Amino acid sequence: MTLLNVENLTVQFDTDEGRITAVDNVSFSLESGQVMGLVGESGSGKSVTAKALMQLNPRNAVYNGQSKISLTLLDDAPIDVLSLKTAKELKVVRGGAVSMIFQEPMASFAPAITIGKQMVEQLVLHKNLTKAQAKKLSVDMLDRVGISEADKRFDQYAFELSGGMRQRAMIAMALSTRPKLLIADEPTTALDVTIQAQVIDLMKDIVAEFGMGIIFITHDLGVIAQTADKIAVMYLGELVEQGSVRDVIRTPAHPYTQGLLNSLPKLEDLDKPLTPIPGDIPSPLERPSGCVFHTRCPQVSMGRCNVDIPPSVHVKDGHKASCFLIGDNGGPKL
Amino acid sequence: MIEKPLISAKNLSVTFLLGKNIFGPKLTIQAVADVTMDIPRKSFFGLVGESGSGKTTFGRALLNAVPISGGNVQYNDDEVSYHLERLTKAELKDYRKRSQLIFQDPYAALSPRMTVRDIIAEPLEVMGLMGSREETDERVREIAEKCRLNLEHLRRFPHAFSGGQRQRISIARALVSNPKFVVADESVAALDVSIQADVLNLLKDLQNELELTYLFISHDLSVVAHVCDNVAVMYLGRLVETAPTRDLFFKPRHPYTKALLSAIPSLDPDHSGNVQKLEGEIPSPASVPSGCTFHTRCPHCNDICKTVEPIVEPVAEGHNVVCHRWKELETPEPAN
Repeated sequence: MTLLNVENLTVQFDTDEGRITAVDNVSFSLESGQVMGLVGESGSGKSVTAKALMQLNPRNAVYNGQSKISLTLLDDAPIDVLSLKTAKELKVVRGGAVSMIFQEPMASFAPAITIGKQMVEQLVLHKNLTKAQAKKLSVDMLDRVGISEADKRFDQYAFELSGGMRQRAMIAMALSTRPKLLIADEPTTALDVTIQAQVIDLMKDIVAEFGMGIIFITHDLGVIAQTADKIAVMYLGELVEQGSVRDVIRTPAHPYTQGLLNSLPKLEDLDKPLTPIPGDIPSPLERPSGCVFHTRCPQVSMGRCNVDIPPSVHVKDGHKASCFLIGDNGGPKL
Repeated sequence: MIEKPLISAKNLSVTFLLGKNIFGPKLTIQAVADVTMDIPRKSFFGLVGESGSGKTTFGRALLNAVPISGGNVQYNDDEVSYHLERLTKAELKDYRKRSQLIFQDPYAALSPRMTVRDIIAEPLEVMGLMGSREETDERVREIAEKCRLNLEHLRRFPHAFSGGQRQRISIARALVSNPKFVVADESVAALDVSIQADVLNLLKDLQNELELTYLFISHDLSVVAHVCDNVAVMYLGRLVETAPTRDLFFKPRHPYTKALLSAIPSLDPDHSGNVQKLEGEIPSPASVPSGCTFHTRCPHCNDICKTVEPIVEPVAEGHNVVCHRWKELETPEPAN
């Protein structure tokens, strides 16, 4: 069942320096039980895309008229997320059917309220449980994500937990309302590798058990390869390539994805020199014309790439990329 | 004649005072405990470990930026030789220009109110290394060119630059006094991958050109594997394994090193690796476990590990491990 369908999403921000495009014409869909990795460097618009799904972007965000986000919950008519206006209407996508895990768990728990109280509060709000029921469920969830002595942790504050524990508590809190869609924004970036491995395992178990759809935002392609079913690569607000994890990582079609994979240091081949993508990411105030990647693309053909916007082309089933070279003499060179 | 290592640390310890209780004993934490390490000249020496392992404190101790509580550190280049634990004022002043630090976050490290030229020139002015403004400008231009900065950019302010460019400015600032020894503390961690490779290549090129010796502190093992020639692994302030890079990555001996390596997520979706998962988290340095400090998380821990502190044992040329059981645990097939 298609859980989430995003069509032509364009998000701009009104700032003192003019209107800045953060997300440009992004379309993708997600099934229940599927994990989609949303990959991109800083400023690529991955967080803005995710926040749009819950309308969490700041007030100066402007959603273009063609933008459409529809969320289909069980046997209900699809919800048009962008048409929700009041806080009451938005309740369904904020913390209820959609939950979010943030990068920095220390910043997302209130420091002066116990973990337990925060977990109970949202359950009472979204699930109409009594406080006692909510407490029982919260302790169960803490236990479920591998926190020892869950009933003791329930009464502790965020600062009393270690980084890995906090992230687990964050996951427990996000899952306790049984969301249909979970958005995880760089959930492992602030963690050490050994803890990251534990959290990745936990996320995999969660999908197997709860069967919700997950959007996993990260800049780490290794983490995506280990957790996601499909992958969407963003660059300067545009979704340049999407497809199954195997297709995109093994046979990347867009020169940006190829460059990204080439610039990763790999343990298998220590003699290979590191190849950066030339140049720097342009400022969002100076978005390049034509293909947004043309200023750094090693295979650019001037006259076309800097003038026209490349269409999204099918490479093979479900694997799409926006590059003029696809279809020309067998596509971009690997 | 064998060349003396540039930095030679013997049983180096750094202790911080946590606070005093009038009745009880002083509360201290040992951030670096009994570390012995030689950093050869012109090497790219990697230091890895999780947060809280003491790697930053160790790097700072080698720069004489935190007080050394025990042991000694010797610095030897062709011109001078210093004992860092007892430097005179004049020696310290001289050591400051021979040793430099490149910071992690290029957004926080550069003053937003100074032009790039002033940022790079500041160490020269503070240390009084140049006679005139013309000489200073000349030197700034020279190092900026080496760090692949556009000379046009020297008049601008840092906010105009991207992360990669800012990190190149930080590098130029660190290298302007012509140091021999550079500590790079997580210097690429804040950068995007496509930019990271560029900065790493620059560090490598500068090393060859200027004959630099790096202590490269990082938590990213794949990056370390690519640029370093020697690697030391730290856990709770102690070194657990030191080896030439290839030995460490292809024949790791310490269970902690093995676990760290297997925790790197593989890029192959069908290969999750024979992951040796570690339980729990790094203990607080305020309550260090007895015996082998790693025993609380080690999958191979037995009684002796809980009580007796392991000693440094040589495995091969340049390869040392601190583990009671490394010999028994040796497996014929190499870990990937």
